[in-house]
Amino acid sequence: MGSAPSRRSVIGGSAMAALGGMLAGFGAAPAAADAGQTGQPEGQQGGTRQFYGRYQAGILDEAQLHAQFVGWDVIWGEGGKKEQLRALLRMLTDDAQRLASGRGVLADTEAEMAADPAQLTLTVGLGQRLLDQVGAGKNAVGSMPEFAGDKLDERYGQSDLLVQFCSNDPTVLAHAVRAVGKNLRGLAKHVFTQRGFIQPASGAFRNLFGQLDGINNPAGDTRELAVFGTQENPSWISNGTTLALRRFEMDLDAWDELAVSGRDFALGRRQKDGSPLSGTSVADPVDLDAANELGLPKIGANAHVALARPGSGDEVIHRRGYNFVDGERSGLLFASYQRDARTSFIPVQRRLAAADALNQWLTPVGSALYAVLPGIEPGMYLGQQLLD
Amino acid sequence: MKTTKTTAALLGLGLLLAGCSATPDPAAQTPAAQHETQAQALQASDTWAKAAKDGMSAGFGTLHNAGSQAIEITGVSDAAGNEIQLHETVGTGAQASMKQMDGGLTIEPGQDAVLEPGGSHLMFMDLKQPLAAAQRTSLTFTFADGSSAAADFEIRNFSGANENYEHGGQKPEHTMDHSKMDHSKMKHDG
Ligand code: HEM
Ligand SMILES: [Cu+2]
Repeated sequence: MGSAPSRRSVIGGSAMAALGGMLAGFGAAPAAADAGQTGQPEGQQGGTRQFYGRYQAGILDEAQLHAQFVGWDVIWGEGGKKEQLRALLRMLTDDAQRLASGRGVLADTEAEMAADPAQLTLTVGLGQRLLDQVGAGKNAVGSMPEFAGDKLDERYGQSDLLVQFCSNDPTVLAHAVRAVGKNLRGLAKHVFTQRGFIQPASGAFRNLFGQLDGINNPAGDTRELAVFGTQENPSWISNGTTLALRRFEMDLDAWDELAVSGRDFALGRRQKDGSPLSGTSVADPVDLDAANELGLPKIGANAHVALARPGSGDEVIHRRGYNFVDGERSGLLFASYQRDARTSFIPVQRRLAAADALNQWLTPVGSALYAVLPGIEPGMYLGQQLLD
Repeated sequence: MKTTKTTAALLGLGLLLAGCSATPDPAAQTPAAQHETQAQALQASDTWAKAAKDGMSAGFGTLHNAGSQAIEITGVSDAAGNEIQLHETVGTGAQASMKQMDGGLTIEPGQDAVLEPGGSHLMFMDLKQPLAAAQRTSLTFTFADGSSAAADFEIRNFSGANENYEHGGQKPEHTMDHSKMDHSKMKHDG
């Protein structure tokens, strides 16, 4: 090899290559991501993130240390459903905007806890059933199909409404979740709360298998393109996207029995430093054609990275997952944002479910898909582009 | 900067801050403008009311006097025709009790009247229609000079209060945050 590849062209390298020519046209689109959404100084723990913008916060931006994904089902009262959903989303918008700026919600009994939001973001998505009930967003996301190996627990199933709460401060996060939950009482039934944590370093984090996760996530313009599409080819709604949320339990006791070489072979990257088995440094590309002296592929055909790699530009997803430990159970709260899950997340997940070498130590117990709302300006409410 | 922030927050809430209701004039909202009526000096923010099916409920928020003269709120009304009183809390802790304010609510220039659970509040005496969470209701303040201004109150769940109603008097007594308060001093018919 000549000169060492730049970090940027390798991080997200396979996604970048897959998106190929689409990127050329993309550069012409107006104002990439609003400042404050992607322009976060890395590693900043305190302070606020801009709530308003072209996109919702909590998607393209750097993942905060703590997350709670909370699902609710709408309880319908009297009157038009669209009007009820509108009122609910107006309230949620007011809550989110206040909390993100370091204020309590209206009727907050502990507004002091909101004072330093520590990069708090609330990101709102809706399930297809809810969209159908209000007669909007027809066929926006559809429902999450069942995959081979799924052992779904209904506790972690599809909900009508999902809020992804993220902050660097778990206390702030707990307050935000509670404040929003209290305001929703009587209007929505709580379905699940899924908590997660990470310690990111250069865009990746150690998952509970010990692996560096997030290395080959699309970055910059590639990420934006994969998540929101283009003006000509947007997600289900302009500046909206979709969220795939899957809960994987890890069998850590069985994983313990596996030697590090076996672990590395199952993933296709080394536990030690995240480097692909086809190279020596984390910045090296995943090369599925690389062979050893015996002519055997360095990265096995069923290795996680071999199967997860996007086969085309349409398959690129942006992963923003979290580790979880819940009593005796540990695993990965897999969350990915993508323009259209039907052409990206779902085919990739099908491939993985069928043959991923990691499956032996993984049990999918939760699965849901959401239509994530576009960002808004002051004076608007989340979902306005859809419901008005 | 602070003004900009406030304005944005108010816009976000969709607060309706019409000055004198007869002649709504957006220019009159500018703090620098010469306020002709008391209503035009009112800036309401963070206004919300407690969700309730029937009986009593309460409204809260910050009422700011942006004018150069004292203003006095003498009455509050809504489209449903509810009886809405101005209440204050006297005493503290277990001894606290609330009563209707003597006269109106006066706000000195540049000052805030903070209406909050456990303090002064607006009291819906006997709801004619439910206050449903996530909806909003518009309240009209009437001032000593006869002017009036409306503000939107966001309706929210609130259970810092014990929600049981006690039937001690002729009317159910409300138990807000100040559930332990002695309501005997209240004149609900007043
Ligand atoms: C508990 C389950 C999972 C674990 C522990 C896991 C772990 C990892 C790790 C360690 C990497 C390598 C580092 C990196 O590039 O980020 C990786 C890559 C990747 N994973 Fe997963 N993953 C899981 C589930 C999934 C699922 C469900 C999908 C999508 C359906 C997925 C898609 C990807 C993609 C697209 C890559 C990058 C491949 C490339 O382009 O090099 N993963 N995963
Ligand atoms: Cu009272």
